[in-house]
This record gives sequence, structure tokens and C-alpha cells, in this order.
Amino acid sequence: MRTRLPVFLLLISLLAAPAAGPTLAAPARDTLVYVADISDMISLDPAVAYEFSGILVAQNVYDTLVAFEGEDLTTLKPRLAQSWKITDAGGSWKVTFTLRQGVKFSTGRPLTARAVAFSIDRVIGLNKSPAFLFKDVAGLKEGDTKALNDRTVEVTLPKTASPQAFLSVMTFTVGAIVDPEEVAAHAAGGDRGEAWLRNHSAGTGPYALERWDTESRVILAANPNYWGTKPKLSRVVIQHVPESSTQKFMVESGDADIAANLTPEQARELGGKANVKVQKGRLLQLVYVGMNAKHPPLDRVQVREAIRWSIDYDGIIRSLLRGEARKVQTIVPEGLFGFNATAPFQQNTSRAKTLLAEAGLPDGFATELLVPTGPAPGGVKWSDIAAKLQSDLAKSGIKVTIKETTQAQLLNIYRAQKGQLVMILWGPDFPDPDGNATPFSDYTAKSIAWRNQYEDAAAARLAKQAALEPDPAKRKALYQQLTDRILHQGPYVVLYQPTTRFALGKSVQGFVWNPMAFAEFKTVSK
Amino acid sequence: MARYILGRIASVSLVLLGVSVLTFFIAHVIPADPVLAALGEHARDDQIEAFRRAYGLDRPVPVQFVVYLGRLARGDLGVSIRTRRPVAEDLREFLPATVELGTAAWLVALLLGIPAGILSAVYRDRPFDHLARLGALAGASLPVFWLGLVLLGVFYYRLQWFPGPGRLDVALSPPLLRTGLLLVDALLARDGAVLRNAAAHLILPALTLGLFSTAVIARMTRSAMLDVLYQDYVRTARAKGLPRRRVIVLHALKNAMIPTLTIIGISFGSLLSGAVLTETIFAWPGLGRYATASAVSLDFPAVMGVTLVIALLYTAANLLVDLLYARIDPRVRYG
Repeated sequence: MRTRLPVFLLLISLLAAPAAGPTLAAPARDTLVYVADISDMISLDPAVAYEFSGILVAQNVYDTLVAFEGEDLTTLKPRLAQSWKITDAGGSWKVTFTLRQGVKFSTGRPLTARAVAFSIDRVIGLNKSPAFLFKDVAGLKEGDTKALNDRTVEVTLPKTASPQAFLSVMTFTVGAIVDPEEVAAHAAGGDRGEAWLRNHSAGTGPYALERWDTESRVILAANPNYWGTKPKLSRVVIQHVPESSTQKFMVESGDADIAANLTPEQARELGGKANVKVQKGRLLQLVYVGMNAKHPPLDRVQVREAIRWSIDYDGIIRSLLRGEARKVQTIVPEGLFGFNATAPFQQNTSRAKTLLAEAGLPDGFATELLVPTGPAPGGVKWSDIAAKLQSDLAKSGIKVTIKETTQAQLLNIYRAQKGQLVMILWGPDFPDPDGNATPFSDYTAKSIAWRNQYEDAAAARLAKQAALEPDPAKRKALYQQLTDRILHQGPYVVLYQPTTRFALGKSVQGFVWNPMAFAEFKTVSK
Repeated sequence: MARYILGRIASVSLVLLGVSVLTFFIAHVIPADPVLAALGEHARDDQIEAFRRAYGLDRPVPVQFVVYLGRLARGDLGVSIRTRRPVAEDLREFLPATVELGTAAWLVALLLGIPAGILSAVYRDRPFDHLARLGALAGASLPVFWLGLVLLGVFYYRLQWFPGPGRLDVALSPPLLRTGLLLVDALLARDGAVLRNAAAHLILPALTLGLFSTAVIARMTRSAMLDVLYQDYVRTARAKGLPRRRVIVLHALKNAMIPTLTIIGISFGSLLSGAVLTETIFAWPGLGRYATASAVSLDFPAVMGVTLVIALLYTAANLLVDLLYARIDPRVRYG
């Protein structure tokens, strides 16, 4: 029987045999490996993509007429348009773009004004998730964009739309220009090429899509026809790695160059490693608590103000988020035009109690806080923040019952105006203050103000006026006025603006995170 | 025999019908809206309505079910609300990765579990038995999530013996996918580098996933062997002077395999459906993760598609086990 154990060991070694020859080589020098959770990727068609990972890819394979570069979302830069001008045409706005010369698509065909009109009309006609940016924000219909000649495009906007907001929308993937002939060649059944562009590309960007294996990886290859400075790395692999600990292992062992979804804890652990560096990225999201302004006693301004004075904002940022957030209390996040840095609230229990007494509630009251399951921006669990709010509010005599539910279910309740206190996040749809101002202040927009039953005609008027104001100085003053008003009158407790973290291999240079939640890989080297 | 198999197939159809009714109605009593899950917080009312119409979600639930069954009868599993692709297409893409991983894990469980169980019974209460039982206890109780991370941390990150997550190194391009089973496709394409690399990528997740089943199979084999080893016919065989090895393998093992076979069959089904955590840790693009993501987004066409496929695999595995009984035990006859 002595022979049995060796047989057993032999079986194990047979099982492990393939390990003798795996390729454990680090990725090639000219390839960037970016690991992230890309399970939200549905389509890479810029007229359809409205998910973080789809936008990340589309921003690198397509170009827009204008762009915000790096972290700066306040200065519009030329891209495919070398210049543009806004003119008041009486009953409408005319925005005229002059296109850059010598630009070619990755297919080799030249960029024309017709391609621009085609791409914008295509978004409107397909009417997928991002189409509202053109249809509702800019008030555009098919045919409103015209090619005046080969290099000039004219867009006619209604007077109810803001030309500034339109230009901001044009920096986003929805404003990407596709090659009309390539798309037409692959269109099927009147789908305007949607099925084909889902996993192919026809853009002018620094990269072209090589392949997309669903839930696995996306491979981008440098576009040989790119008009700008050639990208430093010839290939980018966006590898789907859903678990952040695994991402951390990969970047530490050199198998990945950038890891995108680290928790604050993991980032701290990596802080002292020799071969890895941690970089922060700004996000435009705001984590806030909405208070239903028609639900007693939250209908009283003093009660809402008492809640705002009860919360230990610094404690949330310092202890729970380990500093991975910024204290912001107004409705426009830092990084956008019109940001208002005023942050008067801090925990002041006696002040909160006085306000409650003024509201006729000296003994406090009981209410319900609805929170989503899972992690909140910044990497901490929603339920942990909720527990902290519960204990903070209890000190002022406000008894909070926490109800945790999936985000989809929470939205059901919130959208039906049936919440009391609801904790959730908001990120603007386009990098302009109007992306926050209107949803938070205009009841008729049927967005956040509506969900919290906050009807404030003055606030809505200010938001509209600010959106349409062409003069930047006046616009800024209007946003200041609006944000100050909502800070105290509104039904919101803005808790924080999160940051995100990346782990980079030591040699990786030139990685810049755009706060609209993407990065342009063309500047990255290693 | 043929009649028996046909009868079983008919009953499988009934099981599948039952499963689809159950899943469909469970999916519809959940008090949340799959459209909101798909379109998110920013969606406008008109977009939500249009989406609801496009997916037929604006019709009464019984009507939706009849439409669904009608499509199902034609082999159409519908369109996923989350990925916006036909569910059948999604399944075709994700199922092979899970089949590959599940089969590898199953082989791990068989190759480790059965010998360990036999040796444990033969050396009852000796050091090997204690060790194997301790191993089985650990295998059955270690959380998969933790085990996967530890294996990755030690064998990939520290020792670098095995490659990292995913099915293939970044440097390699997968061959033309014919079956979706990377090992098979690499063989068909005669691509040795991909074959070796894909096999190496398979080991840690297969060990992680297979350890629980290894433990169960080892325990089952041990107790079945112990039952048999002390029976009279084994004693008789030994008394006749047959070599011990022959008695164990030919006389005892064959009879001990009958209860073990049931467990082996069930474990194949559960390995295919229970790979969610392993797939998450090892970034394995399989069915488990697809099912979880679909369930979280209340994507019921996808959930139903997955449920049907898993139910089908389970019942197929059971049928196979039942047929194998007849091969092993002459007393079992069908038809």
C-alpha cells in the first residue's frame, strides 16, 4: 500500500502540469493595460453609450468638435472645430463651427461638414439614452444642423436653449462625429448602423476599436490616420476585472498599468509600495439627502435647516471616507463653472434643537431614511453613512429609521414622490452648471426638485435665467444667487463630493482623469 | 431504454415549464421596476415609456407571460433588458466559459475527492484519514471568496507560479472562437501558446470552485467505502486470498460508487450554476456573473434564460447519472 500516496501526489502534479509553461510576461512596452469593472458596457456607439465604460471607450475612438481638456471643465478648447461663434438670429441662436482641415477618419475618408450634420441627426433620430441632451437640453430636431459648405456647420438652436449648455453637450460622446459612409455601408433595417457601431468604430479619435469581447476586454489600437499628435502607446487593453482586490494584485505584479476601482483602504495600503503610485481623480457627483418638502414636518424650512445643522460632515469625510471627498454643500460641484464654495453647515446640536423648537417640535420627531444597498461613491457603504447620519440626527432628537433597498427600488419610491429622507447621488449629464441647477431647482423639469416636491418658482426662474445668460460674469452671479438660495431654502443636505482613486505602475506618466468620468489615453506613456 | 429516455425528456419539459412559470412570476412580484434599473436615475418619463413599450412591459403580466411562452416555443428567449441583446446570444457567449471552468472544477473534485475518500476509508483512523478529513472539513467550510483571494495572493502575486485573473494573458489573442471553449478552440487552431496559457489560467479558479465539491465527494466516497468494506462479500473475497488492491478496486469501489455517483452528478450541476463568486474574483466572463448582474438589474428575460439553461443542465446531469446506475449496478434496469 506504500505506493498509493505517490499515486495521489502524481494526480495533483498532473493537474498542475500546465503551470510549468504559462507566459507570465508583463504586457508589452507599447501596450497600456487598464483594469476596471466594465460590466455596464452595453454599446460603444456614441449615439447609444451612456454608461461609464462605454463612454470611456467612445471618448478615445471618437472626437468631438469642441472639448474640455484634462481636469478643466470651464475652458472650451477647439478639437475637430478650429473655431466657432454664437450669433443671435432674432428668433433663434446660430452656432457656426469651422472645421479643422486635413482630418481623416480611421477609415481613411476625410472629415466633412456633412459628417457632422449626419452624426448629430443620427443621435436625435435613434433617440437612445443620450439623445435627450440634444432634444431636450439643446432643443434640436433632425435638420437643425446644416452643412453650409465642406468645412462649415451651422446649428440652429431655439431661444429657449442655452448656447453655452449646447457647447458643453458637444464636448461629450453624444457629440462624437462618425464616418457617414462607413456607417451607411453597415446599416441594416433602418438602424442607422446602430448594430454595427455597437462593437465597431468609425471615428477620427487617436485610437480605433480593434475588438470587444463582452465582459472580458476591449482592445484599442492607435489610429494610423489620426490628425493630432500620435498617441504615445500603440495599444490600450481595457480589461474587465470586477473585484478590486484582484485589480490591486494585478497592478502590483505589473500585469496591469492602471487599476480604476480601488477602495480607500486599498489605496492606503498601496501608498508605501515601491512599484505603484496612487493618483486621485475628481468626480462631479454629489452625494446628498433629499427631504420631501411636502411631507410633514419636513415641509417646514426650520426642520430642514435643523437637519442640516445636525450632521457631522467633517466626521463623514474624515472617518468614513478617509479624506477621499471634498466638503461641498451647494448644488453645483467643484470643477464646474458657477461652483459656490460656501459651506456654512457643521454639526451644531444646540442650534438644531433651537430650530426644531421654533418649528414647534421641541421633542424632535421620527422619520425614515431610504438608502441604496452597496457602495457609495468614495468607496464606503451607503448603509455606513446612513448609520452615521442616524446617530448624528439622534443627538438633535430626530429619530431616524433606516430602510435599505436596491437602487432600482429606491428610485421607484423616490420618483413617485413617496420618500421622506432619501440618500442618493447625482452627477450632471453634461459639464455645465445647468446639468445640476435645473434638476435641483425646477419642479417642472420632473427631476430632483419634483421628487422632493420642492416647488420654488423663484429658484426655477433663476435657473432658467442663468442657463440662458450668454455673459459669463452675469451668469456666474446668477448661479451664486441660486445656489445660495437653495442652500437654505431647498430640501437638500449635500453631504460630499467624492474623489476616485487609481493605482498606477511607477512608470506610467500622463494619465489625467476627466471629472466627467473618463480618461484620454493618448497622453499616457510608460 | 429508449422509451425510458423519451419519458424522462418529456418530464424534463414539464420541469422546464414549471421553472419558467415560477421564475416569471417571482420576477414580476418584486416591487421594483426593471426599466428604471436599466435606464437609471436620469431617464425622462417619455424614455421610460418608450422603453416599456419596446420590451412589451406595458402589457398585463399574464399577457406578457403568454407572449413569452409563445416565443420560447419558437426557441426565442427574448431580449435582455440590461445588455439590450438577445438572451440567446448572451448565453452563447457566457455559457462556454462557465462550462469550461465548471468542468475543470469537476475534474478537480473527482481526481482529488475520490482517491482521498478511498484512501481515507482504507486507512481509517490512521494519519492519512485524519489529514483527509481535516482537509475535507476545511474544503467544505472555507468561504470561496476568501479562498480565491488567498490562492491569487499566494500563487499569482507572491510566488508567480500561475497567471492572474481572466481566461488568457493580455499579451495573447484568443483564437477564432468556434465553440467558445478556449481549450478546444486553441486545439482546433493548433495554437500551443494559447492552449498552455488558457490551461494555466484555469487552474486557480478550478481549484477554488472545485474544493467544496472535492470535500463533499471525498466524504461521500469515504463513508460509502466504509459501508462496503465491512460487508461479508468483501470479507469473503479477502478470505479467499485475493490481493487487497483487487478487493478494494474491483469489489468494494464499484458498489461504493453508487451513492457517490449521485453526488458527482449533482455537483456538476451546482458547479455550473454556483460559480458567481469564483467568476468575480478571477474576472471570468461566465454565466454566474451574467446571472448575478441580470438579477441585480431585474433583467427577467436574462434571469429566465439562465434559469432554463441551468435547469436543463441539471436535469441532463441527473439523467446521465441515472443511466450510469444501470451500467454499474446490474439490478437497476430501465424500460
